[in-house]
Amino acid sequence: MGFFELALLEALLLGALCGVVGTIVVLRRRAFFTTALTHATYPGGVAAAILGLDIVAGAAVASVGLVLIMTVLGRVRRQGPQVAAGIVLTSGFALGTMLQSLNPSLPVQADTFLVGSILTVSVTDIVLTGVVLVVAVAAVALVGKELLFSTFDPSGFRAAGFRPGSIDLLALGLIAATVVVAMPAVGSILSISLIVAPAAAARLVTDSVSRMLPVAVVVGIASGVLGLLASRAFSVAAGGAITLVAAGFFVLALIVSQVLGRSRVRARA
Amino acid sequence: MPSAPVLSFADATLAYPGAIGLSGLTLDIEAGQAVALVGPNGAGKSTLLKAVLGQVPATSGRLAVLGGTPAAALDRIGYMPQTDELDPEFPVTLRQVVMMGRYRSVGWLRWPGRADREAVDAALTRVGLTDLAGTRFGRLSGGQRQRGMLARALVSDPRLLLLDEPFNGLDQVNRDALLGTIAELTASGVAVVVSTHDLELVRAVCDRVVLLNGRMVAEGPVDATLTLPLLEQAFGSTAATVDGATVLSHPDHGHHPEHGHPAERGH
Amino acid sequence: MGIEVLWEAFQLPFMARSLATVLLLAVASGVIGVFVNLRGLEFVSDGLVHAVFPGLVIGFAVASTGGLIWGAFAAALIGAVLLTVAERRGLGSDATIAVVLTSMFGIGIVIVSRQQGYVAQLEQLLFGRLLTVTDAQLAQIAVLSAIAVLLIAATGKEQLFRAFDRHGARAAGRGGFGVELVLNVAVALVVVAGAQAIGSLLVLALLIVPAAIGRLVTRRFAVLFPIAVLSAALAGWAGLVIGFTASVGAGLTPSPGATVVLVLVALYVVVLLGSLAATRMRRAAVR
Repeated sequence: MGFFELALLEALLLGALCGVVGTIVVLRRRAFFTTALTHATYPGGVAAAILGLDIVAGAAVASVGLVLIMTVLGRVRRQGPQVAAGIVLTSGFALGTMLQSLNPSLPVQADTFLVGSILTVSVTDIVLTGVVLVVAVAAVALVGKELLFSTFDPSGFRAAGFRPGSIDLLALGLIAATVVVAMPAVGSILSISLIVAPAAAARLVTDSVSRMLPVAVVVGIASGVLGLLASRAFSVAAGGAITLVAAGFFVLALIVSQVLGRSRVRARA
Repeated sequence: MPSAPVLSFADATLAYPGAIGLSGLTLDIEAGQAVALVGPNGAGKSTLLKAVLGQVPATSGRLAVLGGTPAAALDRIGYMPQTDELDPEFPVTLRQVVMMGRYRSVGWLRWPGRADREAVDAALTRVGLTDLAGTRFGRLSGGQRQRGMLARALVSDPRLLLLDEPFNGLDQVNRDALLGTIAELTASGVAVVVSTHDLELVRAVCDRVVLLNGRMVAEGPVDATLTLPLLEQAFGSTAATVDGATVLSHPDHGHHPEHGHPAERGH
Repeated sequence: MGIEVLWEAFQLPFMARSLATVLLLAVASGVIGVFVNLRGLEFVSDGLVHAVFPGLVIGFAVASTGGLIWGAFAAALIGAVLLTVAERRGLGSDATIAVVLTSMFGIGIVIVSRQQGYVAQLEQLLFGRLLTVTDAQLAQIAVLSAIAVLLIAATGKEQLFRAFDRHGARAAGRGGFGVELVLNVAVALVVVAGAQAIGSLLVLALLIVPAAIGRLVTRRFAVLFPIAVLSAALAGWAGLVIGFTASVGAGLTPSPGATVVLVLVALYVVVLLGSLAATRMRRAAVR
C-alpha cells in the first residue's frame, strides 16, 4: 500500500470514529473539554519525543491525567468546569511550549503535534485508530441507552438509581482516546473540527439520536476523505484541508436547517 | 393482616452534608393513599422525595421504604421530576424518554425487548399521548411534557409514585387529567406522594397532607390539617381564610432548587 | 548570582521592556479576565485567541513583522463580532465555538502551509517573542491595553449587571448586544496586544487564571480585580526572573511566555490547595 492509500484508510477510520465520539461530545456539551484536552496532550507528545518514545503514547499518558484533573477541578466550588478546562488548556499548552523551547534540536517539530501529518501515518497509527473505533462502536451498542439517559436527564438518571460517574468516565475516556489517535493524523488542535463539526452538522439536520449518529459518521468519513483529496489537489496541509471541509459541512447544515426552519413555520401559518 | 406501610418515617432528620434539610419527620403512608407535601420553597419537600429515592440520608431516626432500604425499593418506585431543566433541543422522542423508565429492568448491556415496548405503549395510552410518541420531546407543550414524564414514572409499574410539583404551569385540561390519573392509581393500590403549592388540588385528590417548613409542622387528614393556624406555622402570614377555605395569598411559582449544585453552563 | 538578580536583571533594556509588557498585560487581562470569569466566557475567549491566528498569518504574509498587529486586529474584531452575533442568535453553543475556533486556525494553517519553510514562522506566530519586544511594539501594547481597560471601565456598571442578572439587565434595557460586544472586543484587544509578545494562546492563560485565583480567595466582587492583577503581575515578574536566571546561569532556552504561564499556574495550584485545606478545617471545626 502506498502512503496515499494508507492516509486514505486512516482518514476513513478516523472520520468514522470522530462521527461516533463527536455525537457524544456534542450531546454532552463537552466541546470545551475536548478542546482543552487537545491542547493539553501536547506536552505529553513533546515529552515522548524528547524521550525518544512514540508521541501517541506520550499523548495517551498525558490524557489520562488530564481527564482526572479536569473532572476533579470542575467540582471545586467557585471554579467549575469552564475554569477547569481553561486552566488545563493553557497550562498544558504552556508546558508543551516550555519543553519544546528547552529542546530546540528536537527531531519532531511543533507542527506535527498541532497540525498532524496524515501522509506519514504508520500502520500502527492506523491499527490504533481502528481499535478505538471498534471500542467506541461497542460502547454505544452496549451502553448506548445509559449514555442517552444520563446525557438527557442527569438528575432523572441519578434518581433511577444509576451512578452517573461511571458513564461520565466512559464518555471522557472515549473522547480522550479519540483525541490521542487523531494526533498523528490531523494534529491535536485541528482534530477538534473533525470531532465536533460532523456531529454538530448531524444534530442540526436530524431530530433523534438514532439518526444523528449515522449521519455524523457519514459526514466524518466524507470530511476526512474529501479533505485529503483536496489537500492533494491544492497543495495545502492535509490537516488544515480536512478541518475546513468538516467546517464546511457544518455551515451547510446550518444554512439548510435555517431554511427548513423558516419553511416549516410558513407551512404552519 | 395489615401489610407494612409503603413509606415510613420515625422521628427522622434528613440532611445534606453541611446543612440540615428536614427534621422531626414521623409519618406512615399506606398503599392506595395519596399524600400531599405542602410548604414554602426551601421547606424540604424535594429533600423528602430525594430521601425516599436514597439520595439524601437520614442522619437520625428511621426511614423505611416498602419495608426496607430506599436502595432496595428503587425498582418499585416511580419518580416524576420537574421538567424545566431539560434541553428542549435534545434529539430524543417521547417514546425514547418513556422507555428510559424501563432501563433498570432491562439491565446493562442489553436492549429493550417486546415486553418493554408494550409497557411503553401502555403507559403512553394511560396518559393519552399515544399519537405523539414519535415527536421530539422538546417539541411537546409543557403539559404534554409533564404527562410524558408521568408515563416514564409509570412504565415500570411502581407501587409508590413520587411527583415533584407536577401541577406547576399546567392548564385546566392537563390538571384535570393529572387529577384523574392520580385517582385511578390510588384506586388500584399505588401510594402517591405529591409535593405542591396548590391547596385546592390537595383537597381534590389527597387523603392526607404533610406540612413542612424545615421540620414537619403537622400531618394528618386533609380537612383537619389544612387549617389556618397550622398553615400559618408553615407559611407565615401568607395564609388566609377566604370564603371559608384557607388559601395562600402569595403562592410561590417557579422551581427553586433546594440544594445548590452549581449548574453547568452549556458553553 | 545572588538575590540582586530580582531587580538587577531589569536594568538591561530588553528585560525592562519585557517587564513593562507583562505588567501592562497583567493589568489589562486581570481586569477583563474577571468579567470573562463571571460571565463564563472562557471558551469564547479561546475562540478569539484562535481567530486571531489567521490574522497574524495574513498580516505577516503581507507586511512582515510590522503587519502582524494589523492582521491580528482585523481578525480579532471580526471574530468578536461573529461570536457575539452567534451567541445572541442561540447558535453560541460550545460546538459552534469549537468549529469556529478550529476553522480559523485551520485557515491560518492552510495559508501558512503554502509557503516555504513555514514551521519557523508558525512557531513565532504561536509563541510570540517576549524578549525581543521593540519600543514600537511596547507602545502598541500599551495603547491596546489602555483602550481595552477603558472600554470596560466605561461600561463597568452594565458589565456587572449583565454578569449577575442576565434577565434583569435585559428587562432594564441594558443587557443587550452592546454590552456583550464591548466585552468581547476588549478581550480581542488584549489578545492582539499579547499575541506578538507571548503568543495568543498564552494570553488566554492571563485572562483565565488570575481571575480564577481571585475567585478562590474572595467572594467580594471589588476585591477580585486587585487580586487578579497582582497575581498576573507577580507571575510575570517572577517568570521573567526565572527565565533570565535559567538562560544566563544555566544556558537553557526556556520560552519566556511559557515560563510566565507556568509560574502563574503554580501560583494557582498553591492557592487552590490552600483554599481546599481551609475549607476542610472550617468544616471540621463546625463538627
